[in-house]
Amino acid sequence: MSVNVMERERTAIINPLKTCQPLGAMYVVTGIRRAVPLVHGSQGCSTFVRYSFSRHFREPSEIAVTSLHEDAAVFGGRRNLVEGLQNVATRLEPSLIGVITTCSSEIIGDDVIGFIKTAKDELKKKIGEKKTEKVKIIPISTPSFVETHLKGYDNAVKALVDHVAEPSEPNEKINIIPGMVNPGDIREIKHMLRLMNLEGILLTDISDPFDSPLRPSATEFKPYYPKGGTTVEEIVDSANSSGTISLTKYAGSGALSLEKKYNIPAELGPIPIGVKNTDQFLRNLKKITGQDVTDEILDERGLLIDSMADLASRYLFDKTVAIYGDPEITSGIARFVGELGMVPKLVVTGANNQEFVKDMKKVGKETGAEIDTMVGQDLRAMEVYLKDNPVDLMIGSSDARLMAKEYEIPLVRVGFPVYDRVGYHRHPIVGYNGGIHLIDLITNTVLEKYYEPEHWKLQQ
Amino acid sequence: MPFKLFDVSKPIPERKDHIYVKHCEDPEECLPKCNIKTIPGSMTERGCAFAGAKGVITGAIKDVAHVVHSPVGCTMYGYGSKRYPTTTDMPDGSKFPVKDFNIKYIVGTDLQESDVVFGGMKKLRQAVRETNQEFPFVNAIYLYATCTTGLIGDDMDAVAKEMEEELGKPVIAFNAPGFAGSTQSKGHQIGNDTLFAKIVGTTEPPATTPYDINLIGEYNIDGDLWLLKEYFEEIGINIISTFTGDCCHAELGWMHRAKLSVVRCQRSSTYIADMIEKKYGVPYIKTDFFSTKYTADNLRTIAKFFGLEDKAEEVIAKRMAKIGPELEFYKEKLTGKKVFIFSGGPKSYHLSIPLHNELGLETTGVSSMFEHEDGFEKMKKRVKEGALVIDDPNTLELEELVEDYDIDLILGGVKEKYLVHKLGIPSLLVHSYENGPYMGFEGFLNLARDMYTAIYNPVWNMLEFQETEDPDMDEEVE
Repeated sequence: MSVNVMERERTAIINPLKTCQPLGAMYVVTGIRRAVPLVHGSQGCSTFVRYSFSRHFREPSEIAVTSLHEDAAVFGGRRNLVEGLQNVATRLEPSLIGVITTCSSEIIGDDVIGFIKTAKDELKKKIGEKKTEKVKIIPISTPSFVETHLKGYDNAVKALVDHVAEPSEPNEKINIIPGMVNPGDIREIKHMLRLMNLEGILLTDISDPFDSPLRPSATEFKPYYPKGGTTVEEIVDSANSSGTISLTKYAGSGALSLEKKYNIPAELGPIPIGVKNTDQFLRNLKKITGQDVTDEILDERGLLIDSMADLASRYLFDKTVAIYGDPEITSGIARFVGELGMVPKLVVTGANNQEFVKDMKKVGKETGAEIDTMVGQDLRAMEVYLKDNPVDLMIGSSDARLMAKEYEIPLVRVGFPVYDRVGYHRHPIVGYNGGIHLIDLITNTVLEKYYEPEHWKLQQ
Repeated sequence: MPFKLFDVSKPIPERKDHIYVKHCEDPEECLPKCNIKTIPGSMTERGCAFAGAKGVITGAIKDVAHVVHSPVGCTMYGYGSKRYPTTTDMPDGSKFPVKDFNIKYIVGTDLQESDVVFGGMKKLRQAVRETNQEFPFVNAIYLYATCTTGLIGDDMDAVAKEMEEELGKPVIAFNAPGFAGSTQSKGHQIGNDTLFAKIVGTTEPPATTPYDINLIGEYNIDGDLWLLKEYFEEIGINIISTFTGDCCHAELGWMHRAKLSVVRCQRSSTYIADMIEKKYGVPYIKTDFFSTKYTADNLRTIAKFFGLEDKAEEVIAKRMAKIGPELEFYKEKLTGKKVFIFSGGPKSYHLSIPLHNELGLETTGVSSMFEHEDGFEKMKKRVKEGALVIDDPNTLELEELVEDYDIDLILGGVKEKYLVHKLGIPSLLVHSYENGPYMGFEGFLNLARDMYTAIYNPVWNMLEFQETEDPDMDEEVE
């Protein structure tokens, strides 16, 4: 019935459950049609993230870098950024360049806004005013030593709406800030909007860019830009929507900024994972748009409820679960496993966030479970905990795979990154369909581990 | 006109000097410009010096805890990212308690804004203490500078010295911040220099034989080392130190006791072999173990040094009898196919000749992100007239060369792999591997099989929807 909060007592971080801000910003910019993230930092800052994205999504990830070296460390990165912007603009002809800072460029104190102005002036001389104006260049400040990748995501979305959104005529669309979810999740969100007869503007939409068809004859090359993504025009238009729903309350600054500047109502969270959170998402949609919840979508809800009725009590009830990852996703999954009659015994997040503790208290109250909650923690803390307090199931990224194997705890992979199994980025965990997918995954995992040894138990 | 400017690189004409087109009559010094800074914004494939030091050189060591002094990102990205497996076997016959410890754990200082302002040395000291508490069984602790710690000027050597005294075990600082040098290659060099200066000559091997070698620049990707080790054991040659695949901290200390150093990755680690020769008089040879011929040739050379030629012939004959016939099958299937080796370091010059001579493939071009002049000399020598030799390749140029050069297969890394697929042609991972090991006799067979399965994957015949059914499908099946 209570939540036991455990904060990190170590100074050192061992096997982190978070990464630094720039990754979140690169994720956001990738979700824009014909946009290029330009990282103002060392080559590792772009290479490591490209590697991480490619490993998780099994897709190309085109990210440029200003290649800072010793000379820039001493004299500043002005030349690198100005030259880098020009090269990206002329070679790739993008619709937008997101200039993403790093620890180096933040520490050396580069005047990114000033440098962008210089670069634009130079560009005008080179390719003319008209062509230059076609490329939006957006500064995104993401110091790596402040908070986590989710903050970088948040800063990027806010920078986009602050620099790009422009009010004109109301468009009766709904803005959605999806948070750092997978292509399958975003497709599910778009599917739900369609069932509600609503049109959305995704800020931003990585679903196609990170899961793109292989069709050489139909694909643009030189430069290769993936299909889809939110268009710059849509971002401009986001100032005219009926409201903004951020699916994460931990990264809703963009929504709040639109509310403050253009009076567009904002709703932050919760992520629609599980029944009650998805219900809340629909109520938020209705509240903002006035649109009734349609029968079609309630049928999908019914399909999820049906599978819960059929499966939960027999196979899942009282099974204990350790959940780890980003705050929004772990809190959503904790709530959902509670809805399934399972016990969210341990919930671990790398972010140090008191809002998350409140979330978990709410889940604890609803489920009646005693939840050990680790905030600002790492995977090593989880490992030490699990050694003494084993659970029946783990839910989280591939990064704890070796631990799960060692302690023989079956692992359901969700979140980022997942690189030792395939397909996890393609299937939703949000919405009613995401719930169905998750319950199938969880139940089959339970069947293999706990029922397979006594195979006759599996007979109906 | 031996240099080429890609159309896509017209806005940055400097790129022309980095792309050489092989012309047999050119003087030797005709090489692409290399080992200089990347042009900003050119979508480079390069990594940073930290990646070179931790990711390549030290990350393979099995009994060391790695502490990355950084904001969380560098630590996260250094976590288990390479396939460098390790055993628990220690040279004195004891067992290290955790298998693959190097892949399983990474420690970081998780620097915050206040640390950037006031300095991070206190935090680093504390992190080293905690590392020793969490993993008391490690035999050394290595510390890594990153961009942040390089810029705020933390004196890591001082912390290392202090903590070494406090903990009574080696603590070593690697000062290779991300921005050092023009590529990850700088990190290799700093890694070599540091390990040489701090460790080599500090320990003595449990036993010596007249047949002791250092195997240098072999990191055991997917078990490469374990294959090579078998060959050496059968010949009667004793590897006393590996630098650094599946090795332990102490064995680096007795590298000076070897009779010969054998350098495998010539880019990342010739440095240390050279320093050991100069200071301790241990000679070194540069070797290639990709392909059956290079493996056989190099085993012969090394065996000859010790007077063990007959044993080497036995090992070679035994392996060739085993894999020869299968290799023939792949040769038949792969003959005439065109590959482009879009690799990181020296694989470009290791692979071009064997792929042609032993499997019938033609190398259309080679590239490297971080090679220096000596590597490019070899690359240039080993490709045919008209082939491209590219320094610091970028994805836009990759797209153009795929379109213009009629390539059947790209050998590259994970960052390019999926783009190449979108362009409609197969690719194969050669940085880490698909289904390795790729080294030695059996490894070359693995590589051949993976190339075959990549090219002959039925998907490449189904890329586009056909309006009319393939007439062959209509034929009656008997």
